[in-house]
Amino acid sequence: MVLRPGADDVRLIAFYLGKVLLGLGLVMLAPLGIALLAQEWNAATAFTIGASLCLIVGAVSDARFATRRPLTWAHGMVIVALAWLIGAIFAAIPMYLSGRFSDPLSAMFEAMSGLTTTGMSVIHDLDHTPISDDFYRHLLQFAGGQGIVIVVLSLFAAGGSRVATLYVSEARDERILPNFIRTARFIFAVAGTFLVLGTTALFFALLSASFSAPRAIYHAINLFFASFDTGGFSVMQASMIYYHSFAVEVVVMLLMIAGTLSFGLHFALWRGRPRDVFRHLETRTLAVTSTIFFTAICYGLLRSGTYDRFEPLVRKGLFTLVSAVSSTGHQVNVGETYLTDWGVLAPAAIVGAMAIGGMASSTAGGIKAVRVGVAFKTLLHDVKKILLPESALVVTTYHAGKRRILRDNTSRAATTVLLLFVVTYLVGAMVGLLYGDFDISQTLFESVSVGSNIGISIGVVSPDMPRGLMAVYVGQMWLGRLEYVAVFALLGYLFSLARGQAKAA
Amino acid sequence: MNASSSSPGDDRGRTSRRGSSPRRRGRTRWLLITPLVGLTIIIAGVVVLEAAAPLVDVTGRSVVDDLPSLILEDSPTCTRQSDDTTAEDIRGRFVPGGRVSSGQIFRCPAALDGMEVSYAGEVVGDILERSGGAWVQVNDDTYALEVGPLVGHRAQNGFNTGLTVWLPDGMHERIGGVGRPAQRGDVILVKGTLLRTDPEDGGGLTIRADEMEIIADTLTIENPLHVPQLIAAIVLALLATGAMIWSRIVARRL
Repeated sequence: MVLRPGADDVRLIAFYLGKVLLGLGLVMLAPLGIALLAQEWNAATAFTIGASLCLIVGAVSDARFATRRPLTWAHGMVIVALAWLIGAIFAAIPMYLSGRFSDPLSAMFEAMSGLTTTGMSVIHDLDHTPISDDFYRHLLQFAGGQGIVIVVLSLFAAGGSRVATLYVSEARDERILPNFIRTARFIFAVAGTFLVLGTTALFFALLSASFSAPRAIYHAINLFFASFDTGGFSVMQASMIYYHSFAVEVVVMLLMIAGTLSFGLHFALWRGRPRDVFRHLETRTLAVTSTIFFTAICYGLLRSGTYDRFEPLVRKGLFTLVSAVSSTGHQVNVGETYLTDWGVLAPAAIVGAMAIGGMASSTAGGIKAVRVGVAFKTLLHDVKKILLPESALVVTTYHAGKRRILRDNTSRAATTVLLLFVVTYLVGAMVGLLYGDFDISQTLFESVSVGSNIGISIGVVSPDMPRGLMAVYVGQMWLGRLEYVAVFALLGYLFSLARGQAKAA
Repeated sequence: MNASSSSPGDDRGRTSRRGSSPRRRGRTRWLLITPLVGLTIIIAGVVVLEAAAPLVDVTGRSVVDDLPSLILEDSPTCTRQSDDTTAEDIRGRFVPGGRVSSGQIFRCPAALDGMEVSYAGEVVGDILERSGGAWVQVNDDTYALEVGPLVGHRAQNGFNTGLTVWLPDGMHERIGGVGRPAQRGDVILVKGTLLRTDPEDGGGLTIRADEMEIIADTLTIENPLHVPQLIAAIVLALLATGAMIWSRIVARRL
């Protein structure tokens, strides 16, 4: 029997969504300040409108729907799924008013890409964009990368037990500290520390690359947001090509790696337990898969004759691999040249790396190393069971924070989500083929990149791309960020609203 | 089991279970419809506001004259390893020293590797000085050569496209301005060697310039104030302040 949610449930959801919009409104005040300082008046009014609309909706829902009712898992899932959708719509308002997007869908694509830290862009004339608009795009990646729902609710001091459902619903299932609020604040502390260290390192690297001090600060802050939060937006259309600096590339690579580490592993490092990092299933899975993919990329580039010297081979190959694995999407090549100059094997290896992505409970996207590791362990477990006598008790363990026994439900959950990601990649690729303008290598590359929230583009995504495909990509980014469960819960909730049985009065 | 599966004659059950149901259902429906209507109004309002943005007449101001014609009229695409003939064909058709676009180069980087080419575009961003010269990003998109930066007009022509150019000492100092918000930088015409994997740039695709000519000076585009947007911003900011105060008052009462 499916119970129809009542008005009280809807009010509860509206109350928490209002809180998220309040937070988004506050986020927009930062670029507003920059627009005023830079005397970018039209951008300033656009941010005022966006922030005001968020604050109005947030304040009204706060006043009208305030409640002390506890959140159930269903509420949490629905709130998170809707928060990312509605958040993207409201975040798109200042973007659309900037006049740099063809239509509202394009602005929403950009906002969803920013919040989900995908980093695909459809902005017109980025190289002449006002600095406040550019800063806003990067700031959205920071808000989204840290998990905007958990950020907002920990700021607005909702109780720990209430936040727990939202924390897990937002695809952050690793509780580092006993209390969810403390866990959220630890995530803040990590991000804050890296913000200071990363921006400072980038600032000096940019100074050494001949940037003036003000330009170095501007690029350093934006590059930090795009790199640590594994977003991949760039200040200039040329992405990382623009900097011509090995030092900048090294700092960005380190930030991307830091961003792809789970917050649990950051906690282990924080506590001086590096051994936990090296024993973790995700670290080992990423080490093995990255080695395989890097070998394939180097072999592919050598075989196709793209690079015949050691430095470009390693510098371009390694940076692109780290960018793909961390799901950042910074590029050291023009997207089109992956198709025209990189042969076949190297781009295929990049697709594989993008599909797997980074670690769970990090800012990275993709299937996640832990699921690939668990799926592989499951396969080994099944093979062992076949080979050993039937009476033998086969126990498989793995290390994830502590030694754990591989159980059926863990295997099922990992393989189900893995399968859903693969299906989504294929659906996106097929829809791309329907338009007839691209071949399978292009549509598959782009679909995996979008579905894993990576952002490396081979050229399919552009301001003029088919709108149906753009809408599909928006859906893929949303699904990929929330790892399906919250979205399915939302669909189930909508179904029960339409067809469920009323609760007893 | 759903609501329609209860016995049609069970009026008493229906009244007790659904006694307040139509009203509650109505409230739920209202709570669902109101945000959708509100969201539609907001989106429509934003679209109308954006459409009301003031435009300035930029006709002809940003067009760069005296550009040499592109040597290749089309932009053939080749794929490394499988289309070697296309690359050779392009190389055969190209006249050394002729003008190319960045798009033509990206569609077949192997074709013109090591050849002397001419390239024209706007210097954007920063001039990154190094020992012996400077790296500059030179865009040859329509914002650079035809319509100017996307300010005060609606010629949305897609992404910026361009190439990295190495300007030796004595050349980059002559650049008077670079592309920034609402400013088109100097447009330069360079002649030099195209390197598909420049060892000095970690394997990047570059042009090493031997000659440079400035063919259009820096151009600043005025960005007119969007008055209706300003009025909307003031009204909404006042409403937001009022709403925030009201919500604080309500919260204190609870």
